[in-house]
Amino acid sequence: MLLIKGLSWLILFQLIGTALNVLFLPFLPSAIIGMVLLVLFLRLRGQVSESIETASGGLLRFLPLLLTPPATGIMMYGSEIAADAAAILVSLTVSFILVVPLTGHLMQYLIKRQARREEA
Amino acid sequence: MNALMAAWSAVVAHPLFLIGLTLGVYQLGQALYERTRMALLHPLIVAIALLIPALWLLGLEYPAYRDAVFPLTMLLAPATVALGVPLYHNLRRIRQYFWPVMISLLVGGVFVTVLTILLAWLLGADFPMLMTLAPKSLTTPIAMVVADQLGGMAALAAGFVMYTAVLGALMGPWLLSVTGVTLPSARGMALGLAAHAVGTSRALEESEETGAFAALAMSLMGIGTALLLPLAVTLWLML
Repeated sequence: MLLIKGLSWLILFQLIGTALNVLFLPFLPSAIIGMVLLVLFLRLRGQVSESIETASGGLLRFLPLLLTPPATGIMMYGSEIAADAAAILVSLTVSFILVVPLTGHLMQYLIKRQARREEA
Repeated sequence: MNALMAAWSAVVAHPLFLIGLTLGVYQLGQALYERTRMALLHPLIVAIALLIPALWLLGLEYPAYRDAVFPLTMLLAPATVALGVPLYHNLRRIRQYFWPVMISLLVGGVFVTVLTILLAWLLGADFPMLMTLAPKSLTTPIAMVVADQLGGMAALAAGFVMYTAVLGALMGPWLLSVTGVTLPSARGMALGLAAHAVGTSRALEESEETGAFAALAMSLMGIGTALLLPLAVTLWLML
């Protein structure tokens, strides 16, 4: 029952997100709006109920499985990619390889600097 | 022989066949990954690498597969909402690191978007292709909306998002480790910003804190790009 109850909460926030997406925020996906609303809701309540904890833990454990079908969609675009293969592969791959360490190091540096300042 | 063929066709045509196949290859990937801990054998990568040839052998197009496994994909929406839980658990830390998060987001986000466009432009891609490549770090639904707004191709943008996802699963944590990024919050920030939901999923494997920062980075990167990139492109075209 806990799982069902928690899942109902998550679906409720998803649906409120869908309504807000149509009404006010066409550029944001409904699930992202739902996630922000869930954080606000938990913040107001001051705790995470056992049901929401159970349902979210269960779903997040299978996140890679849930992402498998959309990721398989990469097979649809063979011919478009072939036409501009060099530009596409180089720009996507090189920018990814550079941005990961850049962002990680910058964040790590800024956090350590902030920690040092707080100590001082 | 005919009876066997008929039985095989019935099995393949069953509504649960492709769901079963997906669960099967995923578990195979999971088992391989647990044995070896090699990023190349991440369940997501193994599943895609086995599913694509399997669908091809079965003579199935992707839309047919996508429709058949809709019950699985449907859970992606509540799973995205569920990311709010690790976010909430780490809210105190996120607020404590407000400026590091905002600065890393701005620098990383602008860097990856500009570099992608610049490299593709240097290699001869035309304007619609550039606008299709630009939102590749975003989560699929935002990327498709943004590509469409900019005059790119939404469906192809989703393909680039998925290619980025594969890169993220394959190399994301490894790139951070070899370059010496050890703080969980910094690792999460980089993974969520560069590789959206798949990066976040990989980050959650490391720790809840890593996952929370990845979910945060993914959301802020999506929201920020959706708001600022169309504005930036419009201003640039006016010059």
